[in-house]
Amino acid sequence: MTWDHLRLRLPLALAGWGALAVTALPGGSPLRWVPVLLFVCFGPGLALLHPQRGTLRPAARIEALALAAPLSLSLAVTVSTTLFLVRGFSATAFLVTLAAITTVAAALPGLPLPAATWGAAGRRER
Amino acid sequence: MQPRVPAPDLAQPRTEAEAPPPTRPPPPRPRRALARLLRPLRPQLLFSWLPLLAGAVLWVYALPRIGFRSMGDYGLLDRFPVAFYVALALLTCGFLAAPRRAGTAPWWPAGYCVALLVALKAPPAVLYDSVRYPWASKHDAVVNQLLLNGELRPNGALSGNMSAYDQWPGFFTLTGGLVRAFGVESAAVFLNWAPIALGLLMMPVLVLLYRTFTEDWRLVWTAVWIFQLANWVGQDYLAPQGFAYLLHLAVIAVVLRHFVLPGSAGRLRDRSYLDPASAAVPPPTGTRQRAVCVAVLAPLILAVNAAHQLTPVMLCVSLFALTLTRRYRNYGLLAVAALIMLAWDLTMGRPLFVETLGTLRDSLGELTENSRAGYAGELTGPGPELAGRANVLMVLAVAALAGAALLLRRRLVRGALPLLLVSVAPVPLFVVNDYGGEMLFRVYLFGLPGAAFFAAATLVPAVGDARHGLRRRAAALTLHLALPVALLALLAGFLPSYYGKEKMYYTPPAETALVTRAIDRAPDGALILATTGSFPQALHRYDRVEHWFFAEQELPENERMLADPARYLADRIPPGTDAYVILTRTQDIYAAGEGLLPPGGFSTLRSRLSVSPLFRVVEVHTYGIVLRYRPDAEGESP
Repeated sequence: MTWDHLRLRLPLALAGWGALAVTALPGGSPLRWVPVLLFVCFGPGLALLHPQRGTLRPAARIEALALAAPLSLSLAVTVSTTLFLVRGFSATAFLVTLAAITTVAAALPGLPLPAATWGAAGRRER
Repeated sequence: MQPRVPAPDLAQPRTEAEAPPPTRPPPPRPRRALARLLRPLRPQLLFSWLPLLAGAVLWVYALPRIGFRSMGDYGLLDRFPVAFYVALALLTCGFLAAPRRAGTAPWWPAGYCVALLVALKAPPAVLYDSVRYPWASKHDAVVNQLLLNGELRPNGALSGNMSAYDQWPGFFTLTGGLVRAFGVESAAVFLNWAPIALGLLMMPVLVLLYRTFTEDWRLVWTAVWIFQLANWVGQDYLAPQGFAYLLHLAVIAVVLRHFVLPGSAGRLRDRSYLDPASAAVPPPTGTRQRAVCVAVLAPLILAVNAAHQLTPVMLCVSLFALTLTRRYRNYGLLAVAALIMLAWDLTMGRPLFVETLGTLRDSLGELTENSRAGYAGELTGPGPELAGRANVLMVLAVAALAGAALLLRRRLVRGALPLLLVSVAPVPLFVVNDYGGEMLFRVYLFGLPGAAFFAAATLVPAVGDARHGLRRRAAALTLHLALPVALLALLAGFLPSYYGKEKMYYTPPAETALVTRAIDRAPDGALILATTGSFPQALHRYDRVEHWFFAEQELPENERMLADPARYLADRIPPGTDAYVILTRTQDIYAAGEGLLPPGGFSTLRSRLSVSPLFRVVEVHTYGIVLRYRPDAEGESP
């Protein structure tokens, strides 16, 4: 794994744990809610979409930016609803689950959306 | 291809060895520094940043001068200072200059679009000391209840279908997670910021969607701008529908970009068949690639289903409409979306799903009933009437502009046919159900992304399409005259549409406190009566008390009720029920504005109930009155 890979993946992998750490700050403080909001809205999605081989093509960059939030929030909905269904909801459980998903996703190759990697059907993968 | 020759970098200082011969000395440093300093003042750059800066300064200046506490008949329209309107006009002027460089400097139109979103929708978020839209406090109550219970109760059978929030809880569980993680008391703290947050998240999705069909960045950003101006329907508050809508658009964007079947593009691969602004059809994908994309989309579709009951139907209808084209005939994805929806409806959402199926027989085919806005009455009062007229004009204007593109930009429409199909797909839902008087707004909202795109296509002519003199002049006229006029007209339509009824939407904190006190006093199982549910904290403790919003019915029935309101209500209160009537200022404004009660009806109701022996006054306040039903006084009633 090169430095370029790590430079992107390491912050993503640690983002969730950082968001969890700032929940120790007083409630309602911007130092607490801003990182949490950014992580919940973008963290898991970026970790799933962004780590690709080589540089993302411009179209794929727009796509990763646009889909990061919907994907992140979908995962957040699934996690929070599941936690309520099993009566295990707490802020810590919510953030720990999302942070763990993000860390694992950041270590894996990015989701293979065609705009990012494969190109047209029938073309050989580069 | 010519080899790329790097341009000399005049800005970089050179070393001694690299210095040019003494015969051609470099320009003196102060002149270069001055040139750098003056660069932002070049006309091209000046028109990019100056309107944005001036607009922002004026907006900030205007903000504390917005007299929202003393709103009159016209809501915030006559409470906005002139500086506010000038700021919006300046942003529009700046935006009109920005798209010219959209291809090379996309941050300028993007910056203007963000500025417009904030300028239009942030004033309530910054200023209000209470929740905007009284009914939004219902969602705050749902989140509070969820956090209090720590579990979902989809089979709770609560009054007013409140269990539906536990049957489609996704958005509320997420908001609950944020409330706890932020460490705030409730969602009310950030509730008014939802339109900004959702608008910001929506913008890149719209760009992605539009970029799929056009290479012209001016068209993309103009469509985003028009979308914002036409998005006055107020569905972007802290509510499941706004959230599910974002996910719905993301799914549609992925489908349109990654589900093109091989060999289906046909003549669309031929540039001469397309508009110069059209984008090439996205590369086709094989079965395996599409299967991967379905797996990527599955969590999004699941979240749409977990969050909202109507959006999955809209999604399935849109996906079905896409299967009508050769390009996107993906039955597999449609089947997956339908299966996820069915699975959710038959498990978590079963109680309401079964109930809705039972009522479908009555509502099916009731076109005029299903497409009405709100409950029953006519909008009353200068502000609501103006807002109502502006709403209709805005819909007609956007539809007319979009319709013009179908005639004027036929070659662009050929390429963007899937977007057109997705936009018109929800219209037939009028045949099915009225969705509590909100179907009209929902159908409009789901058609809006496409409508904004085609409206922009009418106003932003293609660059390479105007070789003939006449056409070139027409294109220039459209770009330099029709576009500014249309954007200013849409801006003028947005403001009354969004802020014309603001008096109904702002509730003083003292009224909220009155309602909270009254409901806190009511014992478990009590019945809360109010004219309408549109008042703050209306559903506070909704799992402990029952509700009856008795004026949410046809006007003639309300007129019968007003003849003897005490008797009318007493006859319908179930025997042995502890009943409280809460009448507040916001209910008065809402019932009058929406035409639920005739002029003066609310004060008649209030005064007759106050003097009736059947009701005892519990609390009187500037902002309302609380009464308790006295079943023991039945004999005293005239």
